[in-house]
Amino acid sequence: MPQTAIDDRIVRVDATSKARGEAKYVSDLSFPDMQYAYMVRSSIPRGKIDSISIPELPEGYWFISADDIPEEGKNELWMIQKDWRCFAEGDVKYVGETIGLLVGSDRNVLRYLLDNVDIKYTEEEPAITIDEGLAVKGGPIVGEDNVLCQLFVEKGRPMEEVFREADSVFEETIETGFQEHVHLETNGAIVTIENGKYTFYASAQCPFYIRKAVAGLLGLQAEDIVVKQTTTGGAFGGKEHFPDVLCGPLLVAEHKIRKPIKLIFDREEDMLYSVKRHPAKITYKTALDKDGNILGIDGVVVYNCGPYLSGSFVVLQRGVFHANGVYDIPNTHVKGIGIATNTFPSDAFRGFGAPQTLFAIETHMEHIAKRFGFDPAEYKSRYFIKQGGETITNGHIVERVVLPEMMKQVTDASDYFRKASEYRPGSGKGIGISFYNHGGAFTGNGEQAIIKAHARLVKTGDRVRIEVGSTEMGQGFQTTLRKIAAATLGISIDDVDYDNPDTSIVPDSGPTAASRSTMIVGRLVERCAEEMKERWQEGDFSVEKEYEHPEGHPWDQNTFRGDAYLGYGWGCCIVEVEVDKLTKEVKVTGIWSSHDIGKAIDELIVHGQVNGGIVQSLGYASMEKMENRNGHFRQSSMSDYVIPTSMEFPTQQWFLVDNPYEWGPFGAKGMGELVFNGADAAYIDAVERAIGKEIHKIPMPPEDIEEVLNAE
Amino acid sequence: MGMTYIPSTLSEALRLRAEKGAKPLAGGTDLMVQSKRGIALAPQFPFDVMIITAIDELKGIRALDDGSVEIGALVTPSEIAASDIVPWHVRQAAAGMGAIALRNTATIGGNIGNASPKGDLPQPLILLDAEVVLASVKGERRMLLDDFILGSKKTALGDDEIIRSVIIPPHDFTYSFYRKIGMRRANAISKLSLSAAAVVKDGEILDFRASSGASGPRVIRSKDAESIIKGHMVEEIPELMDSFLEAWNNAISPHAMPEYRRNTTRRMLGYFLSSIHEGASPGIISEEV
Repeated sequence: MPQTAIDDRIVRVDATSKARGEAKYVSDLSFPDMQYAYMVRSSIPRGKIDSISIPELPEGYWFISADDIPEEGKNELWMIQKDWRCFAEGDVKYVGETIGLLVGSDRNVLRYLLDNVDIKYTEEEPAITIDEGLAVKGGPIVGEDNVLCQLFVEKGRPMEEVFREADSVFEETIETGFQEHVHLETNGAIVTIENGKYTFYASAQCPFYIRKAVAGLLGLQAEDIVVKQTTTGGAFGGKEHFPDVLCGPLLVAEHKIRKPIKLIFDREEDMLYSVKRHPAKITYKTALDKDGNILGIDGVVVYNCGPYLSGSFVVLQRGVFHANGVYDIPNTHVKGIGIATNTFPSDAFRGFGAPQTLFAIETHMEHIAKRFGFDPAEYKSRYFIKQGGETITNGHIVERVVLPEMMKQVTDASDYFRKASEYRPGSGKGIGISFYNHGGAFTGNGEQAIIKAHARLVKTGDRVRIEVGSTEMGQGFQTTLRKIAAATLGISIDDVDYDNPDTSIVPDSGPTAASRSTMIVGRLVERCAEEMKERWQEGDFSVEKEYEHPEGHPWDQNTFRGDAYLGYGWGCCIVEVEVDKLTKEVKVTGIWSSHDIGKAIDELIVHGQVNGGIVQSLGYASMEKMENRNGHFRQSSMSDYVIPTSMEFPTQQWFLVDNPYEWGPFGAKGMGELVFNGADAAYIDAVERAIGKEIHKIPMPPEDIEEVLNAE
Repeated sequence: MGMTYIPSTLSEALRLRAEKGAKPLAGGTDLMVQSKRGIALAPQFPFDVMIITAIDELKGIRALDDGSVEIGALVTPSEIAASDIVPWHVRQAAAGMGAIALRNTATIGGNIGNASPKGDLPQPLILLDAEVVLASVKGERRMLLDDFILGSKKTALGDDEIIRSVIIPPHDFTYSFYRKIGMRRANAISKLSLSAAAVVKDGEILDFRASSGASGPRVIRSKDAESIIKGHMVEEIPELMDSFLEAWNNAISPHAMPEYRRNTTRRMLGYFLSSIHEGASPGIISEEV
């Protein structure tokens, strides 16, 4: 078989089985004597549980709740903290909180039982919005002030000094909404006992997270639990920590029942009762001189977290660290607050906190530019940070920043400057531009201090097996990683195996998150392969490597100072629109993007990520509206929570720049989240120009555009 | 939980309807969704159901001698969209319903019987003064669709009746307008829809009509508002425009997004009338951005 070269365009290794419907997902799996589980959930956002009345259970049916957690166990899921309860006990904090599991063999019977569960509550006043959370409506949910987490970063001179020198101050608040992941495959997991160990089959990004999160429920260690990832049909962050919320109750049930138990959410459950992207309210107060130059920015970033921390503090940190966008602002102070509310907990979603602040800073910069009569592209480009430039966390940009070249690519391709000057504000036509980045991998020294990722290659005859904890979830990682191994070893990709991980076999490579898989785990596999290639003649052997942090990049996780990220992906996007004069529907007529991802390991996969990320971002900006009324999400299906179809947007023109990254495999950096981070702002910029009004929130469906037009 | 019957002839279905009150289930795109119970579980209906998809008498589209078109209750949106005898407004609405799978499965009878204010087909049918043919063991009766749909999810269907067909009388419009605003471009429930049509001869507006979907508990037609325009000369449109738009605005009663729905309806109707006044070429009025 021919050797695979890194630049070969190849068919994804999982394409055929998925396209033909042959891939087996967790809901396709069945075991002898398998039972089914249904979740009994809270129907109110906040209150005391007075009583739980379960209909009489036939033989072979169980109701599992906090009462079934054994003495040696604790009712907590260990995500980052241990505050998220496996089962609500005594009170409930959000609609959809797990109260119990109904388990049995016949789903018709279970459905009947579920429909006849009667829970009595004493309802309490919930806090739903960010403002209600900040105002401690109904009394504190967490601590005394509902602040779940907070931090600040500062750069340059004190803000009072900077603002004293300002000729003008421009302050505005920008808001972003909930976003639902809508992975094609809903959440699901099966628990069973294999070889005397509790074993999960789960649709999940991070099998090792599940082990850690649930073991304490039975007083066990993570190693006592085995997690086998099943082919995962999309995740986008929605299967990072959230599978813990399914697997925890399943483990408690398994402890009692000791038969295989399957829990699969239907689409409505997955919409109503799963984590979402954090809604955000971001206020920038910017000091300007008389010519419109920025002297300093004072920002406050507030994320709606729901009542439990889950990944929120890390999300908030990333949000704050991206709050200056791609700009070198001389003086900044940004405060981040994660506020507790009685909504379903917010958690990871592609971009992980960065999209909210990037949307806000892009929109804010663009508003300043327009107020002073500058073209937004030209104005923003004055502030592009450069290699060695000081970041918002007093660290430095390590790599060469090629934003000016990227901007030229897309402005030339789209004829941006001509259109920007020709399309008059309010003419119905508009073109918009945005710049963005995404810090690859875990923040600061997290890869070294927290994860310590491992990867292993095993050689058997002429075949090589990759053993890592990283997962394929549709993003193409099985292809990417096999390609890295094959190209390094000088063998065919067909001679490299990489199965869905089983935690009892593979080493922990860290979570499949944070755009770290290619950059970090890919580099580990490359290093393993380099050694294996040298020793190829030694017969059957394996090579395992641990992550090594590049020297000379200080980071203090207590003060949030230093090099927050060692490599950023960079992006530039232009969107052109026409706004229908009668209906205010927006037609996107052109999309151009350029990304610096170091090096594309597989151009077809990267193309898919660019297309998908941009469409998902445009959906976020335009139509994906998830409303929460009194704690209940109003959108419960794919017909009322609409995501873009292939009909919405035109063919994209996309560019990549070659800018190899020193510590990535073949020079590759993270890219999965980057491509989500900026089309939203370009779209809103374009719509603003087309309607001749400023916009301060997303999403912006036609009825909200109407409202903007009629304001004042 | 109700029984499920599968009649194979219309007379059998009518008997089941009369004796058991069984509800007709055809494509199932409304009933199956409304009564869904989750993965791997069949819907449970709180009433008896009869699956009527095998009944040939309810199928097919045909031209009648008087120039009308009769569409059987089991005809799908895909068949309607592909028909060359169904009037343009109805074909447009059928072509924009849901996704392809839904258009191949849903039926015109179901879309009417479900009587959702967001239903796609009733809106243009009411514009065209379509009638429904209702059948029962006692015989048949015809009534205007506009009278048949009483409100959101409410119809004049008798306990022993089923919808047999829809009859659309012939029209020869000089100008036609149709627009559906969905939540996205494909596979979308209607956020708002509007049909309008006019017959103009020698500068006189002989007929003028409009119908609004998703703008109240039922499709809105207002003969009072239409009469403000109808019978007048094209050159009078500017002076009639405001009172017509005001009358139409008073006729609709959107619950959610009232501002958007009212303003957009006003702009679309205003555009249609202005186009006529400005001497647009006869045919479809479609707006240029």
